[in-house]
Amino acid sequence: MDITTLGGNILGTIPLGDIVIYLTPFHLFMFVVVLIFTALIAMSRTETQVEAEFGTLKESKVSVGLSEFKTRRFLAIVCGLATAGAMITGDLFNITLFIALIGIVNVGIVSAVKQVDVLDAAYQYGIIAMISSLPLFGGAAMILAATGTLSLFVLSGIAATPMMIFGAILLLIGIAGETGIAPFFATKAEMFRTPGSPFILIIHLSSLMVIIRAIEVLLIIVT
Amino acid sequence: MVLIPEVVPTITASLYLPAVYLAMIVGFLGLTGIAIQKKDIHILILTDLVGLAMLIMVAAVGTDLAEALVLPGLVVELAEIMAISEILISREMRKIENAEPIDRVIARKHSVFPFPLKLDMEIMTTAPNFIALVMILYGAFLTGFTGGAVAGGGILFYIFSRKARGLPVIVIDGIGAISGFSWCLWIIGFVLFFIAPQYWLLLLFMAACGLFLKVASKLGLIGAMMREEYKKE
Repeated sequence: MDITTLGGNILGTIPLGDIVIYLTPFHLFMFVVVLIFTALIAMSRTETQVEAEFGTLKESKVSVGLSEFKTRRFLAIVCGLATAGAMITGDLFNITLFIALIGIVNVGIVSAVKQVDVLDAAYQYGIIAMISSLPLFGGAAMILAATGTLSLFVLSGIAATPMMIFGAILLLIGIAGETGIAPFFATKAEMFRTPGSPFILIIHLSSLMVIIRAIEVLLIIVT
Repeated sequence: MVLIPEVVPTITASLYLPAVYLAMIVGFLGLTGIAIQKKDIHILILTDLVGLAMLIMVAAVGTDLAEALVLPGLVVELAEIMAISEILISREMRKIENAEPIDRVIARKHSVFPFPLKLDMEIMTTAPNFIALVMILYGAFLTGFTGGAVAGGGILFYIFSRKARGLPVIVIDGIGAISGFSWCLWIIGFVLFFIAPQYWLLLLFMAACGLFLKVASKLGLIGAMMREEYKKE
């Protein structure tokens, strides 16, 4: 499909050799939204979880220490920036790299917690993220082999071949695994029991935004 | 549409499909292994096999662009395996902390346990200064990624052997900052390369030296991190 059909009028291109960044209202909107969310999350403070204790009327509070808070805030900002980068980039391999970075950082955000359950989930999600780097990078490499370019601007003008479609399917599997959406969500679900809420939100937000962008990219490649 | 230039021999061009099939077979074998294995540490190691299949798939394209893509793929793979193994270690330590008293724990096996390293080899008392110096000089001569790896290996060996002998190592807290700044040098060199190609020699050296410093200091950082393992003893 044409770029203008998917994203609106092209506002301009930034040619950097082989990498051509192009701007449409769609990309700019997503980019700005992610940046605003990142700024909000960077400014916010963590919640304190209150858990009811079993068998008594008492409750226990789970709060986040200062050093852990700082690390987690930093990783959340990195995650937000990587998501913003994935929104605006015009290069197929850069998108895969940004998505892989989001996967690593998501594991990093919850890695410092003390709950064994959360660490279990982070481990499972990390394994899935690592396995799905095969279809993710493999799909991008296959599209490169089929067309000789990774620039989405050029790819939109090339008619789809069976190899490109196969590459796009691999790419979809890779993105689904790396962001932990539907078929793989069970690995990731327990991660949200981590205390320190606003930083956990970026895990949701990044996978949501990346999927929207990924659908646009796949439509550009396939149609 | 023919994308392969004529200078490429046919046999090289025809290797693409076998390489992709090979990558898929390797990936499939890795996934089968992961499905069969029960211990977490074995699963983690087998996951690396799947990552290798990914590298084969990217490298099969065989152009210079693909070569530029192998490196980030490798880095992502390494970063992920390091992050996950760190999680595995901290999880096992939590499990040990929360475990029942010692007499009841004996029957339970942990799949991984961080233990302090103990090494007593002669090469660590006689050679480190000389070998480290030679490796750093040779690495500086090579520059780029290879040079960084060689020089970093020298630094790593030096710190490692001093630490194994129990000697104090000057704590270089800023070594991460060196890595970060030289990485910026590399990136700036790359960006300017696109904007002002007429200064290509200067920018090439900027990128090469930045990459050299980055890789060397990063490997040195691994050596500095290794101290923490000794302290645990």
